Amino acid sequence: MIELKNVTKQYPGQPHPAVDSLTLTVPEGEICVLVGPSGCGKSTTLRMINRMIEPSAGSITINGQSVMNNDPDHLRMGIGYVIQQIGLLPHRTIAENIAIVPRLYKWPKEKIVRRVDELLVMMGLDPEKTRSKYPSQLSGGQMQRVGVARAMAVDPPIMLMDEPFGAVDPIARTHLQDEFLRLQKEIRKTIVFVTHDINEAIKMGDKIAIFGEGKLVQFGTPEEVLTNPANEFVENFIGYDRIVKKLFLYQVQEAYRPAVCRLRPEEIGNALSKMLAEKAEVAFVLNEADKPCGYLTREELEQEETARDADGLQKLAARRSKAFVQTTTPLPDALSVMLEYDAEYVGVLKNGLLEGVMSFKDIRRHVYRREGE
Amino acid sequence: MKMSWERFQIALFEKAPEAVLTHLLIVVITVALAILISVPLGVLLTRPRYRKFGVVALNILNILNAIPGMAVIALALPILGLGIKPAVVALLFQSLLPIVRNTIAGLLEVSADVKEAAAGMGMNQRQILLEVEMPLAMPIILSGIRTSTVYVVSVGTLAALIGAGGLGNMIIGGLALFMPEYLIVGAGLGAIMSIFFDRALSYLEYKITPPGVRAN
Ligand SMILES: Nc1ncnc2c1ncn2[C@@H]1O[C@H](COP(=O)(O)OP(=O)(O)OP(=O)(O)O)[C@@H](O)[C@H]1O
Ligand SMILES: [Mg+2]
Repeated sequence: MIELKNVTKQYPGQPHPAVDSLTLTVPEGEICVLVGPSGCGKSTTLRMINRMIEPSAGSITINGQSVMNNDPDHLRMGIGYVIQQIGLLPHRTIAENIAIVPRLYKWPKEKIVRRVDELLVMMGLDPEKTRSKYPSQLSGGQMQRVGVARAMAVDPPIMLMDEPFGAVDPIARTHLQDEFLRLQKEIRKTIVFVTHDINEAIKMGDKIAIFGEGKLVQFGTPEEVLTNPANEFVENFIGYDRIVKKLFLYQVQEAYRPAVCRLRPEEIGNALSKMLAEKAEVAFVLNEADKPCGYLTREELEQEETARDADGLQKLAARRSKAFVQTTTPLPDALSVMLEYDAEYVGVLKNGLLEGVMSFKDIRRHVYRREGE
Repeated sequence: MKMSWERFQIALFEKAPEAVLTHLLIVVITVALAILISVPLGVLLTRPRYRKFGVVALNILNILNAIPGMAVIALALPILGLGIKPAVVALLFQSLLPIVRNTIAGLLEVSADVKEAAAGMGMNQRQILLEVEMPLAMPIILSGIRTSTVYVVSVGTLAALIGAGGLGNMIIGGLALFMPEYLIVGAGLGAIMSIFFDRALSYLEYKITPPGVRAN
């Protein structure tokens, strides 16, 4: 656990403190994202935690121990640090770069070699190809992966990450974020993560700390922040698409309805009567193996019943053969599926079997309910 | 002036070997001392605590460098007397600047990000200097050493004026005695020595530049 109490940093010759009386607690095993516009003191805050900068006032403790009681070099060896500019040593190979902290800890050679390969694999890099390259031979995204691997080398319980995915294109960034979140589920480190991108903050943070000009403006879970922005500054920082951003916090499993009308191949002829009996708006057509292959709505059936035979209905249903999502699909992706296939409904799958149904109305209702809280 | 093949042979095979050795001795001792003084001085002048003296020190050295080599040698005579020792001291003055300057430039050129990362991982100041800053600055420092060495080889010929010997002896002797053979051999060998050191140190510079940092 990292605790900052009334921490202030006044750089000499600056009119205002870069960080002003900041109080913040980062619980064990969580990612706390510091987010805010450029120059609002995020990096300064981060660098005070590992004493790259000394605070002008206030106290910083890690697990109850003041950082000031520890020798700075020793303190830093125990904290993973990813700097904003990556900062790989250009004259050292990738393997040597990752091995820096293990070497400071005087790990035996074989252990370092093993750990380097392990980390490269963990970060999605091929050890054979990467190990003996120099930083200048890597792409920006690869360098950032190495920067993160280097910070994790001795498996420190605490990591400070300053825009660790800042220097890559959006696609690579999304990929790195996903991978890192998956990893974090296993390694459960206490992480202070800096970004100026609110979307990244929402995605990565267990908690978000929104900074404005050196002051903490709002602190809370992404949902709290998106539901109740503390003031106009936060509102503006989040942007007009607040609700759409909020959608990213939810998955299909929170919004779908498990009750669903299923039509076996032989039942397709009397689909309408089955739906009326089950009071269903929509019915999913299953194949012989019980796999859903599309759906029919009551509206369609009421209009077309006389015009189509079983075959025609099968074909109509098959037009929505791709309108399916998983229970773990984020709501924006489900929405995107609906728009893409012009489908009012999507089928919800779990392990390949039909689990339920979700309509656009269900999404609306879910978001509205979460707004009221 | 009439050239004689016989005198040329005497100059080359009897006089030159000793002159070359003496000259080499002067160059090696001077440059070695210059490195021992300049590199630590350059390092010191880039440490935060002494950085404010950096500009002053460079200015002083610049002034020292502006004095013609001939004048320094001439001044050394009344103060230090005759021989190799005063010659080395005189040459030393002016060989310091390129090395100090390049050491400072090289160290300041090391990117702040790299130093921040190194410190952030818990490397101490000594480790950062020896494992990060020096290796990255080394090509530039070596280029300063090369400039100094070539300088000492050429101005070292003037050392003969205060009795230090070396190739200068042959040049000055050749002039005084109207013996162009001595002049040609002395000057020629001086030029060859200059080129040799220049090429050798260039090669070393290339070899010592870490592969990750080499251009292309
Ligand atoms: N060494 C320094 N000396 C003086 N002022 C500084 C120093 N470092 C930062 N500042 C100032 O302190 C303020 C906060 O800087 P900081 O680097 O913490 O911002 P940041 O939130 O990380 O911004 P960015 O998103 O651009 O990285 C800025 O106004 C900056 O100009
Ligand atoms: Mg910053």
